[in-house]
Order: sequence, then C-alpha cells, then structure tokens
Amino acid sequence: MRHKKSGSLSMGKGRPISRRKFIGMAAGATAALSFGTFIRSGLGAADLKILSWSNTLKAMDDLLRELGKEYTKAKGVGLSFEFIHMNDLPTKTAAAVESGAGPDIINMWSDGPHLYAKALVDVGDVCEGLGKELKGWTNIARDIAIVGKTWKAVPWGIIPIALTYREDWLKEVGFTTFPKTWDELLVASKKLKDKGNPVGFALGRAMGDANQFHYPLLWAFGGAEAKKDGKTVAINSPETAKAVDYRRKLHQDGETDDVYAWDDAANNRAFLAGAVSITVNAASIYWAAKTSAPHLRGVTNHALFPVGPAGRFGYSTALTLGVFNFSKYQKEAKAFIKWLMEPKQYSAWIGIGEGMMAGLLNYYEDDPVWKKDPKLETVREIPKYVRMPGYPAPPSRPAAEAMVKFVIVNMFARACKGMSTAETIKIAESELKEIYGKA
Amino acid sequence: MSSIARTERLPAGMWPTRFIKNEAITGYGLISPAVFLMLVLLAYPFVLAVWISLTNRVLGEPGKFIWFDNFLKLLQDTFFQQTVFNSFIYTISTVFLKLSLGLILALLLNQEFRHRNLVRGALLLPWIVPTSLSVLTWLWMFDSLFSVVNYLLLGSGIISRKIPWLGDPFWAMVSVIIVNTWRGLPFFGVSILAGLMTIPRSLYEAAETDGAHGFQKFWHITLPLLQPVIAVVVLFSTIWTFADFQIVYILTHGGPLNATQIFATMAYDVALVAGRIGEGSAISLFLFPALLIVIILMLRYLRRD
Repeated sequence: MRHKKSGSLSMGKGRPISRRKFIGMAAGATAALSFGTFIRSGLGAADLKILSWSNTLKAMDDLLRELGKEYTKAKGVGLSFEFIHMNDLPTKTAAAVESGAGPDIINMWSDGPHLYAKALVDVGDVCEGLGKELKGWTNIARDIAIVGKTWKAVPWGIIPIALTYREDWLKEVGFTTFPKTWDELLVASKKLKDKGNPVGFALGRAMGDANQFHYPLLWAFGGAEAKKDGKTVAINSPETAKAVDYRRKLHQDGETDDVYAWDDAANNRAFLAGAVSITVNAASIYWAAKTSAPHLRGVTNHALFPVGPAGRFGYSTALTLGVFNFSKYQKEAKAFIKWLMEPKQYSAWIGIGEGMMAGLLNYYEDDPVWKKDPKLETVREIPKYVRMPGYPAPPSRPAAEAMVKFVIVNMFARACKGMSTAETIKIAESELKEIYGKA
Repeated sequence: MSSIARTERLPAGMWPTRFIKNEAITGYGLISPAVFLMLVLLAYPFVLAVWISLTNRVLGEPGKFIWFDNFLKLLQDTFFQQTVFNSFIYTISTVFLKLSLGLILALLLNQEFRHRNLVRGALLLPWIVPTSLSVLTWLWMFDSLFSVVNYLLLGSGIISRKIPWLGDPFWAMVSVIIVNTWRGLPFFGVSILAGLMTIPRSLYEAAETDGAHGFQKFWHITLPLLQPVIAVVVLFSTIWTFADFQIVYILTHGGPLNATQIFATMAYDVALVAGRIGEGSAISLFLFPALLIVIILMLRYLRRD
C-alpha cells in the first residue's frame, strides 16, 4: 500500500482518503476513546472482577450473579463473576499473584490466605465489623484467615463435611442411631460388610474426601503431623500408631477395596449406586439424590465424625474471600464483600445451598436453612469441630505441601495394603521431615 | 513523515525492488517475525523458568538466588526419586509400545485394501480428539464400579475378579501407559507410513529378483530406510512423554501411593498447589540437560546420514 504513487488509501469504491487525513482521523478516534476511558475512571465507577470456584450446586452461583446485579443497581459498582473448576483455582491464583494482575476479589481454599498472604490486603476492618454485628467468628474462621495478627481474608464459609450414611442398612444391623465413637463405627462397618453393604472412605487421590476423612481420624486418636510450633514433626507417636491400626482394621473388616481408586466424585457415584453404606462427603450426595436417586433421599442421613480418645474432629474445606493488593478498587471490593456477608444476602445464599455451605459467623448457626430439613440438623454443628491440616499448628506452606503430597492419606493407605504400622509411620515421618525441613 | 516524503519522490517501484534484490535484507526481514515469536513465546519463558529454578522463590515472594540447591535437594527427596523412576517406566514403555505397534500399523496400512484412505483417516482420531476429553472417557472406562473394560473382560471369562485399574499402584501405571499408547499411536503410525511410502518399489523388485523373502525385505530394505523417520518420531515422542501432564493428571492425579506421579504432575503440585515455584521449576527442568544431550546426539546422527 505504502508505495502507491498517489499516497492515498481507497476504501472500496468511495472517494479516496488521503493518507494524512486518514492518520488524522485515526489519531482523533484514539484520543476520543482514551478520553472516554479517562472520564469513566475519573468518575470512580469501579468495576470489580471476582474469581471463584464453580459451585457443585449451580444455583448458588446463579444467586451470586443475581445479588451482584442488585448491588450494581444500588451502588453503581460494576461486578463480573468468573466461576472456574476448583482444581483450576490454584493455577489462576498463582498466575495472578505472580503477575500482579487479575481479579480484584479472589476466592481461596482453606490455606489460601496463608499461602498468598503477601499478595493480599488487610481486611481486618471488614472482619472485625462483621464479628461485632453478627455474634463473633468461630475459632476455625480465625485460624484460616488470620496470618500472624492480620486478617488476610474474609471467611466466606465452609463446605461442611459429614459422614453420609444409609439409615435403613444401619438399622438392619441394629444401629438405630449413628455410631457415637470410632470403635462403634468399626463394629457397625463389619456388620454392614457382612451383609454386602461395605463402607467406603477414599484412599486414592481424592484431594477432598481422602484428606477430609483421614486428618480427623488421626486427630481423634491424638495423633498430629507436627507440634504446635509448626516446625517439629510429631507424627511418630503411639497415638498415630493407634489410628493406623484402627484404619487397617476398618478397611479389612468393613470397607470396599475400590477406595484406592476413588477420586472426589467416585464415592458420590458409589453411594448413589447403592454400593456403599457409609462414606465421607459434603451434603452434595443428599442433594444429588433428589434428581438421580430419589428413592435414596428418604434413607440417607448425615452424621458428625465419631468421637475418639482425643475428642471429636472434622476437616472441611473452608472458603475465604480476599482482596489482591494490586486491585485498583480495594475499598469497593471490601465494601462488596461486607455486603455479601450480611444476613439478608448471606442467608439467601446458604438457604438455597441446603447444607452445601455453612457460615463461620456464630450468627449463622441459627440460620433458618438448618430448620428446613431435619437431616441437615447435624451439619449445622460441623464448624465447631473443624480443624485444618497442620493442626495443632496454624495452616502453613509445609502443611499444604504435606496434604497435596497425600502424606497422611498414604500413610493409612499403605497400612491398609498390609504394611506394618511402624514402617508406614516411619515413611510418613521421613516425608514430613523433608517437607517441614524446607521451611 | 520525512521518509514517506522522500520515497514518494522516487520513481514508481524503485525502493522496494532495491531492498528485495538484496537477499540478505529480505531474508532477515522474512524470518524476523518468526524469530520475534520464538523469543517472546519460547525463549523468554524458558529463561525465566531456568532463573526461577535457581531461586528458593515461593508464590508472591521474591526469593533468593541459591544456585543449584533445588536440584541437589531433589536428589535426596524420596517423592522425587519415585517420580523419576515412574517417569522413566512410563516413557520407556509407552515409546516402545507406540513404536512397535506403530510400525505394524504402518505396514498394514501400506497394503492395498478397500477403503484404505478412510481407514488411514480414521486412524488419526485419537490424535485429533482433545486429550482431556478422551481421557475423561477412559476414566469412566476404568471406573472402580462401572468399568466397561472390566465388564467385558468378566463377561467374556478372561478374568474372574475385576481389575482395580486405577486403584492399585501396578494397574494404575498400566492404565496410564495404555492410554498414552492409544493416544500417541497415530503419530507413530502416520509418520512411519509416510516414510514407507517414500521407499522406491524398485528396491523391493530388485530384492525379489535376487530371491529375498518377506522378512528379509523388511530387515534389509524397509527398516534401514525408515531409520531417519523412526529416529525423529522416537525423539519427539520421548520428549512429549517425559513432559506429559494431562493423561496422568486426569486419570490418577499421580496416585495411588504416588505410583504414577511423573515430572509434570509433581511440578504442578509443588509449584502451584503448595506454592514452591522455585522447587517446582527445578522438577520440570530436571531432565533438561539429559534431554538436550540426547537431542544433540540424535540430530548429529541424522545429519550424518
């Protein structure tokens, strides 16, 4: 084009435009466009981007979008939600943290605030305010969101993990209520398996279910991977040995062998197909039964984790909302999170969740959602018992690495496959020492 | 603007031809977009990854330069030792299977038969379907409860107990090897077929005149002439398999008991989930020096031929 003699650009059949005129027009258009952007930013009309997991219960995400629209109408703050699969969250979060660009509000899992602390702003004002208004925070909320002394995220809630069980089958073997202790659970499981209805707790690479069952089991017997300082590895203890022995017996007497292959979705399928009698899960099985196995809905119930020598424990995935320090709209982001956590919005959200989500502000323990269905009554209590991997130390990078490497789950899995208790604990100990030694 | 003004004074067509005639300038001009893309899309991320692997960087924090500490520590790391072992088993067995099956496939497809082109086209299917999608189907085929593979094997009386495909360390490795072989086979089949088609018929005719039988023809004509093609596909496949991620991540996520953990999946867990990106980069770059040597030797061998 450039070497055309006339030095003009012809557009179709119309009148040729001279090059100078064209450049002038382009420059004008660019200036006009950038002025528009300038005006928009000048008015302070924030546009918040929120990156969150895509909820197993899609209706909950739809409601968030609805709430977002309501908020935009009232406050003039633009909101755009992006929902992605939970397994993609770490990658996207890492990319945002490293590049210093991305969403304004980030939804993190359990240890997220501790892992990304340096990239998050202090949201103490929001948390303290909410705490004052809504009867304070549960202990677990503080554990997950406070790093050092600073609130690095707002605890959004937990996905309460319970034991989902078949009432009818338990009754058949003489249990009208769910076993209270781990020992009773062992007795029940044996009877269930003898009747062809084994229990099943994931021993494979189910990041959620496998860890959610085996950490509480370890804690209930008094075992722990590290001491309170979060530095000294403490897995090699008589308490751990008891937990391992128990797990092996539970597997041999009452469990299906399929558990080694299970990912997070497998036990849902197995339960809905009537292949297992007790498993560990969020209320999602119960909820899925509504559509895919309605006949199971009436005979499915939820129970708290049994009590062990050291007490009752649980580990549920916790969700938090943080604000990135590179966000241009930190003030607006905080205001939106606060609004989202207030009773009108929050109750509506957990309300359609039917036990998919539980609040970490004490106020929400009495939320109407728990009155909706007697089978969700127990779910309400779960936040009280929840601890995070690394317990009794606060969540940390080594604890996260130990979990992602399945150190604890594999310790139990090896025992179930026949390795001696001492040997499998020793392997776990050396793995933990490698991991904690790096910190 | 002044340059535009000056060129306008030149006689029509003068300045471009002058440059085009200078081959050096034209040559560099033409490859510069490609060089630019390579620098931005390949060289920069690579150099950055090497740099990060030499630091103790964790997500969101700068980290210190620690020379080869990450690599030295990895050598002591039991998780990593198992990962190295798994990766080699995975790569060696899949490349071997893909090569032998690919060779057979190519020889078959080189015969004359009806609908040959259709079959040749269909062969490419596993290669065309997005890996993550086809692997999800495999995941269902290997499901502990609903495995259609077990159903067929049990039904036909080949096995009497269901195989714990993804639930047993040994079978999990077998599963990922099967899927990788299935997925990579078309690449071998088609490449070798292309090589076969370039072998002149006259060589076989001459051999036949000399009284050579089938296997002798294969051994003395086909195989030697296929060597360059085989060298290239093996090289590529080895690199791809060592760097494979999707199949293992979707099927087993490295489990059970870390039995299928390979370089890429371990690097992902360590760097992105646990946040140790320095160490994660070191894991993914660990084999780089070894692979580089293999590549140089292979290329040298090819050039000699």
